[in-house]
Amino acid sequence: MRLLGIDLGSRAVKLAIFEEDKLAESRIYDTAAFYRDYCTNANQKISVDFAKLGLEGFDKVISTGYGRNNVNVENATVIVELKAHTFGAVWQTGLQNFTLLDIGGQDSKVISVKDSRMADMVLNDKCAASCGRYLENMAGVLGIDLDELIRYHENPVELNSTCAVFGESELIGKISEGYDIGELAAGVNYSLFKRIKPIVERFPGDNLVVSGGVARNEALISYIKKELGFKQVVIPQEPQLNGAIGCCAYYIATSRNKN
Amino acid sequence: MKRIGFTTSIPVEVIFAAGYKPVDLNNVFITDDNPGRLIEVAENEGFPRSTCAWIKGIYSAIIDRGDIDTLIGVVEGDCSNARALVEVLEQKGVNCISFSYPNSRNYDQLKKEIFKLCRYFGVEFEDCIKVKKELDAIRQRLIYLDELTWKHNRATGFENHIWQVSSSDFNGDYIGFKKELDEKIASIEKRDAKTEGKRIGYIGVPPINGDIYDFIESLNARVVYNEVQRQFTMADSVGIEDIVEVYRNFTYPYSLRGRLEDIKAQISKREIDGIIHYAQAFCFRGIEDIVIRNELKVPVLTIEGDRPGNLDQRTRLRIEAFIDMLDQ
Repeated sequence: MRLLGIDLGSRAVKLAIFEEDKLAESRIYDTAAFYRDYCTNANQKISVDFAKLGLEGFDKVISTGYGRNNVNVENATVIVELKAHTFGAVWQTGLQNFTLLDIGGQDSKVISVKDSRMADMVLNDKCAASCGRYLENMAGVLGIDLDELIRYHENPVELNSTCAVFGESELIGKISEGYDIGELAAGVNYSLFKRIKPIVERFPGDNLVVSGGVARNEALISYIKKELGFKQVVIPQEPQLNGAIGCCAYYIATSRNKN
Repeated sequence: MKRIGFTTSIPVEVIFAAGYKPVDLNNVFITDDNPGRLIEVAENEGFPRSTCAWIKGIYSAIIDRGDIDTLIGVVEGDCSNARALVEVLEQKGVNCISFSYPNSRNYDQLKKEIFKLCRYFGVEFEDCIKVKKELDAIRQRLIYLDELTWKHNRATGFENHIWQVSSSDFNGDYIGFKKELDEKIASIEKRDAKTEGKRIGYIGVPPINGDIYDFIESLNARVVYNEVQRQFTMADSVGIEDIVEVYRNFTYPYSLRGRLEDIKAQISKREIDGIIHYAQAFCFRGIEDIVIRNELKVPVLTIEGDRPGNLDQRTRLRIEAFIDMLDQ
């Protein structure tokens, strides 16, 4: 059986292709480029052009993500992203009871997973300051790449603004105070951690799984390990593809239940 | 006919008995063609951005319309913002009087407040009781409309919301209100029963984003209980002659304890699968959420609304995930 899971995120579109219950191929596109290059817009309905993607012949397509209700994916089953992330994390980690932190491009979600099912969830406040977009902007202010920014975790400067926009002004102020780039970058990473901390702490437990593009942020993970009381912090093999993988995992799990 | 505005439900019998037109200013604000503009007007006047949108909307509704002869500010039993609102409006030359639901629910104190209203409007208490009997006939019809929602499964969550919430002032004309309500009920009765998967209870102040009901229904679920809106109908006091007692039974202005008893009874009666607790941004009732979550035995989703308009994407996602979760 050949399955396609599509996670239409705010910053990236992720595709996971499953063949015989295994991840066979994956792709990640910039969201704006994906809409421009691989979607058609007819009668105000956006459709994915699979021929252009060079992807055809699926037994089932499952879609999720921010854009799932606006983009028409022919014959696709649409599932809510919290469900996709839950199934993805269970499939990738083999854990059944854990807290899942997903930090995406535009929001953060924390899900309490019990017996492989979503039991409760919290989303970040309506604000860009606790997601990937914030890190991208702040890297821009510092004039460094995101890949460099996420490495710094020692001696963070104190950034107290709860707002991403004010945070930028605060960071500029710190630059002029003469802090070095490592301390400034660590400050950005730590400020993201401070905003995520209270929502993660709503669901204490033994295991924390971190997914989403921001799971690559080494500094953030080091703060999580040091300051949150989880016995184990697990980063799945493909954190950014977790939602797309979850689409396929969901289909496999539910079609099996039906049989 | 004089128009008497108010900031939240008051003993409306007094206004009708005086021959005046009651106007729930919340309804004026939210049904305005552009409620967002009303908020801007208040913010330009100096109302903080970090203040309840309803208070700002009420302020502008009064200033904008200019046809409210007297404002009754409910300064105890609702929120302290109403007290500050009255102070601002008085300075603007609006004729304001205050009304308090005593925190103690003390009979004599509430009686004094209702008598104060009667004296102000020059009506006898007995006249109010006569009006109450007429209103009770309409309230009976509202109880039936509520049953059409949860028992007969024919009315939508929005219909349940809008008709009950409108009973705070009966749209200023209870005879016309009854006629329209009867027509609505007749049309609802003709429908087939709905068969959605999940039954949702809505608790907290009425939503500032009215599309929540239709959105929930698009997810194979339906709101079959609107807590505060039902309270506005005084449904639990139909047949009780003593108006003081009626407004003591009204749970909304008093302690959370009374509200919770009501909510729990309705959850069980209406076989509710999950509760959506709505809190207005910056409202003290958001703190009460802590108690509510601990007390209720069904899953609770807390959502927050700030400005009028459609539900934001994030709230939609949370509602979708919540209903999805109830399915498991």
